[in-house]
Amino acid sequence: MRSIKLEKLKKTVKEGTIIPDVNLLIPAGKFFALLGPSGCGKTTLLRLIAGLESADAGKIFLGDQDITDWPIHKRPINIVFQNYALFPHLDVFDNVAYSLKLKKLPKAEIEQKVTKILEAFHLENHIYKLTSQLSGGQQQRVALARAIVNEPDVLLLDEPLAALDFKLRERMLIELIELQDKLKTTFIYVTHDQFEALTVADQMAIMNHRGEIEQIGTPKEIYEFPGSSFVARFVGTTNILGGKLRNLNADPEIEIANLGNFKVSIPQVKEWMKEGCDMLMSLRPEKIFISKKEVKNFSNHLKGTVQSIVYHGRSTQYNILLKNSMRIQVFEQNEEHFPQEVIDYDNEVNLYWQKENVVILEK
Amino acid sequence: MVKVSKINFFSTSIIVACTYLFLYVPLVVLLVFSFNLEAFPSPWKGFTLKWYHELIQSKHLWASFLNSLIVAICSTGISLTMGVFLIFYAAQGGRIGNFLNLFYGNLVIPETVLAVSLLGFFTLISLPLGLGTLVLAHSVLGLGFVIPIVYARFLELDYRMTEASLVLGASPVQTFFKVTLPLLKPALTVTGLLVFIISFDDFILSYFCAGSTSQTLSLYILSMLRSGISPIVNALSAVLLLFSSCLVILFFTISKKSRTRIF
Amino acid sequence: MKIKFLRTPPSTQFPFTIGAPAMIWQVLFFYLPLAILAISSILQFSEETGIFEGLTFQKIAFFLRPLYLKVILLSFFLALGNAILCLLIAYPLAYFIAFIGKRYKNFFLFLLIVPFWTNFLLHIYAWFFVLEKEGFLNNLLRGIGAISEPLQLLNTPFAIMIMMVYYYLPFMVMPLYSSLEKMDVRLVEASLDLGASWGQTLRRVMLPVTKRGLMAGFFLVYIPSFGEFAIPEFMGGDKLMFVGTVISNYILGDETGSLGAAFTLVASLFLLASAALLYWLIDRLIPGRRHG
Repeated sequence: MRSIKLEKLKKTVKEGTIIPDVNLLIPAGKFFALLGPSGCGKTTLLRLIAGLESADAGKIFLGDQDITDWPIHKRPINIVFQNYALFPHLDVFDNVAYSLKLKKLPKAEIEQKVTKILEAFHLENHIYKLTSQLSGGQQQRVALARAIVNEPDVLLLDEPLAALDFKLRERMLIELIELQDKLKTTFIYVTHDQFEALTVADQMAIMNHRGEIEQIGTPKEIYEFPGSSFVARFVGTTNILGGKLRNLNADPEIEIANLGNFKVSIPQVKEWMKEGCDMLMSLRPEKIFISKKEVKNFSNHLKGTVQSIVYHGRSTQYNILLKNSMRIQVFEQNEEHFPQEVIDYDNEVNLYWQKENVVILEK
Repeated sequence: MVKVSKINFFSTSIIVACTYLFLYVPLVVLLVFSFNLEAFPSPWKGFTLKWYHELIQSKHLWASFLNSLIVAICSTGISLTMGVFLIFYAAQGGRIGNFLNLFYGNLVIPETVLAVSLLGFFTLISLPLGLGTLVLAHSVLGLGFVIPIVYARFLELDYRMTEASLVLGASPVQTFFKVTLPLLKPALTVTGLLVFIISFDDFILSYFCAGSTSQTLSLYILSMLRSGISPIVNALSAVLLLFSSCLVILFFTISKKSRTRIF
Repeated sequence: MKIKFLRTPPSTQFPFTIGAPAMIWQVLFFYLPLAILAISSILQFSEETGIFEGLTFQKIAFFLRPLYLKVILLSFFLALGNAILCLLIAYPLAYFIAFIGKRYKNFFLFLLIVPFWTNFLLHIYAWFFVLEKEGFLNNLLRGIGAISEPLQLLNTPFAIMIMMVYYYLPFMVMPLYSSLEKMDVRLVEASLDLGASWGQTLRRVMLPVTKRGLMAGFFLVYIPSFGEFAIPEFMGGDKLMFVGTVISNYILGDETGSLGAAFTLVASLFLLASAALLYWLIDRLIPGRRHG
């Protein structure tokens, strides 16, 4: 298991620059997720690492080795494709054994390794079947087995679960986590689904439409402390309110037009933060307490009217209309079968939150 | 299913029935009379297999059959091999792009013209006419089918297979032999069958380029035709029909299994 | 942005010679002979010594006389007529196989291909058998008393045309079927639904969609038909002369080899020109895409 380091990687095609001077360090032995909207270039980045595309500028390092110019087949990096790309003319055994046969390992050893891994993936009953006879989930596991049987240094996964249905996807995510834990191979998982990324990653990176890496961190860091409004919006849902920074040195507040002043907490004063400057406040819906009653002990308070209610099973979503015509989303966990307070359409409600639960973002 | 009005269904069916009748009546008649006791023009006298016996015993027939077979196999082999080389080169990154258009010439030039120019060419370089020149001629004909069909199929292959193979550690050359070629096998086989039959049944090129010493099956039949109707030829027709039917069945089976489409 | 999958490495270490055999072969045995043919038509060789004397257009001019132009024109009409006839029969046939008899399409296609894959001369023989003075059809008709004297069916334009269609029909059906089969039947249904008649649907929906197959089939029939020589030779007797028969007579004749080359050149040029014209014409007549 080794790390992957991308240095000033750049790729341009005639439509534009897909990968603009990307610098990224993917630590060894970790499950790394690359999350971004469709078409942002994350798959291209993956292909660059695998060697399927060549960069116009920059370097790629595997551990300490510069593999930028290495041909595909020499790189100890394997990839699990979105559509599996299993060889239709070979059966399951030969598919998985493909890379081992290339290394000219003795037949007995190949047999042993392949059967062991197929058993681990619960495929022992399908060993000699043709890949077309398998279900989607089984094919996916064959693709996975094929990619790890020769113990690569890095395993790339390109939205591998996209074709599976929801329940199967959930199950496979857990299996992938356990697999990576056991193998300790560096996994790089590319997806546009934030749920998948948040679930599997030890560390993740968010890529925006232009191919730039906006933020790198653990899932929790990224979710709780997004570095930009893009990240805040892309990962999870949030309410973004804009206003001016007031009272920076004493008790910082955000002044929102037609709404009022709200207390904020600034753990670290950044360069751009000046008295009176424009700024954004990101407030996650689940961090808001909603009630028709008056409650104390919260730093901030807003009044509004309930516009719509969406029932999500685990939680209920309220869309609230504020007096400045803005809307705010609130998630309330459905803790009780029969809640004490029932909030209905057109009710006047109070929204409360603590100042520590907001994130301040540069405009 | 198209909701076809009664009239249209009826009229197309009539056309179809008549067409197939048109195609098969002569052949069926031929077949039937191959068992006739007496030679044509007498009407049906009785059932016999004697014409088939005579057929099997005809040395000339077997010689020419063998010739046709040899030529067909060789020319098919040559055109397929050259096709594979070309695709190998392309698969390794070679640029052939515009050169492909060279092979569409076969469609624009009638076989007669090709035959005539080859004859002139062979005479010019003093190459004696015979089975060898026939193989050369038929292989050119074959190339005109092999390259467009198989290369087109090559372009349609799912390249994620190639990528998967490379990533798993196979060099481009290994990938070609382990993945690309096996995936092309159905197309190659089916096209090979097509080229084989075209060569085997070919008449015009043989007529011009075979010279006086060698005789292919087509030329043999021609010589028999010149001497008029003979039940032996009927018997031969029956046998060849059977032969063709088997090849067509083979063709369909392979196409269906691998879902390759030539047309 | 669509990802272009890696088909081939960006460049290769293999020399061009690996891929070249096919192309060399093609140039050597296809284009070179054709070029030699073309050139030899304008070369003048002395008659006694056979030594190259100079360029001449005499041989070509020889064939631009009305007699030979008539031959070319006759071949043109034969080829065109054949193509049109084949098209008229093949279209409904292909339609039938693709949509009406869909369940048995393999069977129908099989029946169509078997004659296609059977020796050409056998077909000639079969029709001989049927059409000859003492042949099957005549005997049958005489037997049932329809005619008293045997009909002269062979050695007539009628026989030639029948045989031409008989032989070339599969060439037209195959590409047409391939194109037709890919057509979404719902287009036709929609058109009929909206009130168009079959004729209109044919013209506005089906023909444009199957344009590619139609054109392929048309020229697969037209071009070889023009140069066809075996069928007119055997079925037509000596009365009518076509391009193919003239070429073969000259080429195989004793001293007229290079004349034959000249005529081949003239006829081929005419063929290419007429094909280009027809292509343009059909392209204009049928709206829609040509390729793709």
